[in-house]
Amino acid sequence: MHERLSFFVKRDSVLHRLNPLTKLTLVFGLVLIAFFSPNYWTPQLLFLCAILPLSFLGGIQQSFLRAFIRLILPASGFLFLMQAFFHPVGEKVVFQLWFLDVTSESLSFAFRNATRIAVMVSSFTLFLLTTHPSELMSDLTRRGLPGQFSYVIISTLQILPQMQAKAQTIIAAQRARGLDTESTFFKRAGSLFPLVGPLVFGSLVEVEERAIAIEARGFTSTHVKTSLHDIPDTGADKFIRWIVIGLVLIALTSRLWLS
Amino acid sequence: MSIISENAGYFIIAVVIVAALLVWAYLTKRMQKDFSTMTWVLIPVAIAINIAIGQIVVTLKLPVYLDSIGTVLVAVICGPWAGALTGTLSNVIWGLTIDPNAFPWFPVAFFIGLVSGLMANAGWFKSWWKVAVTGFAVALTAAVVSTPIAVYLYGGITASGSSFITAYLLQTGQGVVQAVMSTGFLVEPVDKITTAMLAFAIIQGLSQRFVARFPRPENAQTEGGTSQTQLIIALVVIVLLVLFAMFLLGNILGG
Repeated sequence: MHERLSFFVKRDSVLHRLNPLTKLTLVFGLVLIAFFSPNYWTPQLLFLCAILPLSFLGGIQQSFLRAFIRLILPASGFLFLMQAFFHPVGEKVVFQLWFLDVTSESLSFAFRNATRIAVMVSSFTLFLLTTHPSELMSDLTRRGLPGQFSYVIISTLQILPQMQAKAQTIIAAQRARGLDTESTFFKRAGSLFPLVGPLVFGSLVEVEERAIAIEARGFTSTHVKTSLHDIPDTGADKFIRWIVIGLVLIALTSRLWLS
Repeated sequence: MSIISENAGYFIIAVVIVAALLVWAYLTKRMQKDFSTMTWVLIPVAIAINIAIGQIVVTLKLPVYLDSIGTVLVAVICGPWAGALTGTLSNVIWGLTIDPNAFPWFPVAFFIGLVSGLMANAGWFKSWWKVAVTGFAVALTAAVVSTPIAVYLYGGITASGSSFITAYLLQTGQGVVQAVMSTGFLVEPVDKITTAMLAFAIIQGLSQRFVARFPRPENAQTEGGTSQTQLIIALVVIVLLVLFAMFLLGNILGG
């Protein structure tokens, strides 16, 4: 249960071997192109011709599709329905439901927004499925990000499951003592502090000891630290990064040009 | 696209103000003092608190989020920039582990930390009613900052429950920006005032020796007065703030 906190799926694929920064550039490139491109069909095309093939290339199509059905489809589907019904634009009414008009303009507006969000979330999901957080952080630290940032991210990822387990224990313990967590609104609101208090105070107790411990291990030292893992950064990585940046610039200029 | 050029001015002003504050804090070395080892160790715990409490609230089925208690806590005892960093990284972690939808909302969390830290520095985190005012200021900031994200990224209606209010306002003929912002003004104050008050209660529960280990223990020192009169003042202040929010709302919808 412990390693299920991050999305990461271990495989040996081209996508997994790419440098984390390259994948990050790729993700932001996809998102920016989807939002900037003046062409109506760009986000849809990006999803079909870039994100889906990439998930097969990374050998993570199963987990990707599972995440897609569980997370992305409900969110963007809900977005689509809400905007199709409630966005008040257009004259041509396609059909009516009670007092709500669905016009062809609001349909196309909703469809574009929903696919943009789907592209955004699914490219992030793709990144998370193929990149281990600690690999990303050590690569970024090597490139000059202060080590404290990677400490915060990595240590949160370790603390979080413990904290969630602790929260469940506290809920169970307080229920056993007769705390009401299920009846009327005021009872539930009143039981907030008995749950929050022990959780917060319990976890703050460890802070001081941990500070002393990492201080003793040279946390604030400004010397360059050596890394145990060597993360490759090949010429192909650099090439891909420049291509993506070029494509984003093309999308941006064509947007400014055409509007 | 006229809507973008109209509002780009506000965006640039906001960025310039934040950048100026950042440079000032950096040059006066106040920021470096805020980021002690204790701060760096507190931040991961605070992020975990944010997420764990957010999930407890979901279990209790309360109509609030309360997912920034840790952020406010850090902002008060370690300064605004530590708070802003906690908020930002909270959203990053939320995106990394639970739902990638959380990434684009990080500026909101950034400003929640920044504003609550600045309010605490100005002495507005020392008694119940002042904490309520701080919560209200945080709520207004959150509503304003989340508006452009909701409008430009999601087209106004996002995938959260409060979007039904936005949708209703859009149907009554409001502009997108007005509809989204007034939804924020309706939803945020309850959430953020509760958040600030819970953070205050937590800080009160900590021992003075423990708080003194952090960079800004003076922000958490309480003022005199019995807690009962303080609570009564706090309730009056909250009622006044709600009235003020309704006045603002009327202005937005009217104009």
